[in-house]
Amino acid sequence: MTMFSQNPLMNGPNYSFSQTPTMASGANKEHSFYPYTDNGGSTLAISGNDFMIMAGDTRSTSGYNINTRYSPKVFKIGGTTSSQDDATLVLSVVGFAADGHALKEKLDAIVKMYRYQHGKPMSVKACAQRLSTILYGKRFFPYYVTAILGGLDEDGKGAVYSYDPVGSYEREQCRAAGAAASLIMPFLDNQVNFKNQYIPGSGEGHALVERAKDPLPLVVVEALVKDAFDSAVERHIEVGDGLSMMLITKNGIEEKFLPLKKD
Amino acid sequence: MNHLPQAWGRPRDDVYGPYDGSYLQNDGPNQHSQSPIVTGTSVLALKFKDGVVIAADNLASYGSLARFTDVKRLRKFAETSVVGFGGDVSDMQYLDRLLNSLDIEEAYGSTGHTLNAQNLHTYLAKVLYKRRSNFNPLWNQLLVAGLDGEGKPFLASADLLGTTFSSPSLATGFGAHLAQPLLRKVAPDEETASKLSLEQAVEAVKASMKVLFYRDARSIDKYSIAVVTKEGIDLKQDEKLENQSWAFAEQIRGYGTQVN
Amino acid sequence: MFISRSEYDRGINTFSPEGRLFQVEYSLEAIKLGSTAIGVATGGGVVLGVEKRVTSTLLETSSVEKIVEIDRHIGCAMSGLQADARSMVEHARVESQNHSFNFNEPLRVESCTQAICDLALRFGEGADGEESIMSRPFGVALLIAGYDEDGPQLYHAEPSGTFYRYDAKAIGSGSEGAQAELQNEFHKSLTIEEAETLVLKTLKQVMEEKLDSKNVQLASVTREKGFRIYTDEEMAKVVERLPAN
Repeated sequence: MTMFSQNPLMNGPNYSFSQTPTMASGANKEHSFYPYTDNGGSTLAISGNDFMIMAGDTRSTSGYNINTRYSPKVFKIGGTTSSQDDATLVLSVVGFAADGHALKEKLDAIVKMYRYQHGKPMSVKACAQRLSTILYGKRFFPYYVTAILGGLDEDGKGAVYSYDPVGSYEREQCRAAGAAASLIMPFLDNQVNFKNQYIPGSGEGHALVERAKDPLPLVVVEALVKDAFDSAVERHIEVGDGLSMMLITKNGIEEKFLPLKKD
Repeated sequence: MNHLPQAWGRPRDDVYGPYDGSYLQNDGPNQHSQSPIVTGTSVLALKFKDGVVIAADNLASYGSLARFTDVKRLRKFAETSVVGFGGDVSDMQYLDRLLNSLDIEEAYGSTGHTLNAQNLHTYLAKVLYKRRSNFNPLWNQLLVAGLDGEGKPFLASADLLGTTFSSPSLATGFGAHLAQPLLRKVAPDEETASKLSLEQAVEAVKASMKVLFYRDARSIDKYSIAVVTKEGIDLKQDEKLENQSWAFAEQIRGYGTQVN
Repeated sequence: MFISRSEYDRGINTFSPEGRLFQVEYSLEAIKLGSTAIGVATGGGVVLGVEKRVTSTLLETSSVEKIVEIDRHIGCAMSGLQADARSMVEHARVESQNHSFNFNEPLRVESCTQAICDLALRFGEGADGEESIMSRPFGVALLIAGYDEDGPQLYHAEPSGTFYRYDAKAIGSGSEGAQAELQNEFHKSLTIEEAETLVLKTLKQVMEEKLDSKNVQLASVTREKGFRIYTDEEMAKVVERLPAN
């Protein structure tokens, strides 16, 4: 509506004659600037016994347009060098890319300051809480992003913390976020947490014994991540181009990049 | 009809209704811009072996009116980078002033260090994001072309929301639909772009400008084109689209002299 | 000497030609007038002890509060102007709560001490002409005891804003004698109980009044119980343990 109501008396330039003002003069005008957009894409994090994997596709979209085929959504946080190669934490952000970028820069600065102020690297637990307070701090003008934080906890176990845009958070075994979250998450429920998997012949009727929740090894998890994204690319137009993966172990962070379909 | 001088040049009340005086108030709340007024259309850019080619036409439109036909939408910065502006022209001029004062400030430094295109893009993106966060956006989409800190070709976009991205080829506005597919065919990835010659890049950009002139109603056949390399900036601001062929127009109903 | 001093101790932030800040140095004198406070760090925890000056038989001794809690795992003892200590402790408490709110972990003892010392030089105007929040340096020194992931720690914070970590430290009017005693008696394998005795024994030597369970106060920070001020019964027991002389 506002796009076409180009009456000179209302907005400025216009086509022709017949449009006299349709509003009472002096009435309040609706604010038409909307400060958010959705840049599509999806992210995924899975934790294992002594590792975690954070992954995200690298496509950035505006509506049906592809802005770029390479815009990573997974970032290292709090390293001491410009290349961040000694970082131990990873953050993924999906949603409104400008907010995501601002959030990442802010968290990174805070984690770096923490190291100076307290003389120790920040734990994932501490970083998780801080990320929550950052997000909640903008409760009434939120960062429009779904964030996932990853690292290894105090016991060396893989840790995944997932967030909503205003800072609710929870530690989970795995989480998918973004455009294809609804496609990937059920797959993860089944393949990571073994939902609806029962041992055949272990009981009468539906009273079957659930498959034991054994922790998955890294190779299996990596394959799950690739499969999840290959499938999401097939069914979601905003997901594709490339897959950026970070594997966090006690040896640090290993980065991987794989091509995805570009259609 | 009112023939009194104070009515001259004003919309007729009997046609347009009485003039809405509420727009002349200067007390009350300050309204931030909620839409662009005088606008520039697409900006195109493509990386090649030694640098970046960037182009934009010289038109500033007022809605559907081709209002200003000699507006230069490519601006040089510190002889290292070129910024191409799409969107609101007054906001472009504001940003140009901002960049000029930034350039002067930086030039005072004794080190002789100048901001490169990557620095400039980060700065502009922060300005745009800050303004959108204050609900007072600068209504532009920008392309920043130049070289990064390592002297490699740099090309990135920033828009009124503060969204940023980078790609071997970029196009704003209508160009995102019409030109970007053509440019991507020439440079599908960084690897390919890094092998393009200057001539190939300029040819692809000029071809895209022509397609845009054919199909974008808010475009004009005068344009600016700049090539940024480590040797410096070659900016031409009075180019004319050449080798136009409107033969196809005859086939299209509504074009030319067809009656029905 | 005296003439130059009177000129350079007016401006609070003005260096003397010898490079001294007289007001800060004077603030250290204020501490030497304060009651003695002692801290001893052991492997199992830190013990703090202070003398309460009972200036009148009508004084309710329990109202003399010279050891206070900062957080569950940090406490401090003070010597000097108690009112100044209040605002420092208040700042430390807020800082500690903020930290656990933001990071879901207890504040480290060193970070807490640093936070307190950040306050110390906020007198005089700032470099950019901001209004000062204090007109003079603090007139109090603190012994900050705490327990964190690095184990039990004891810090001494001065009005000058400097702080150091100690195994054992005495501040206040009797600090010189007490420090010498600590120097002799301290060893790394002290237990908490031995530290309690050492603190009281040392206090006893430097106090003007005769030490009893009413005119001294003990507190400890341990891993299991955190910061704790000793009850009257506990105080009585420790005092009883003291060798009589």
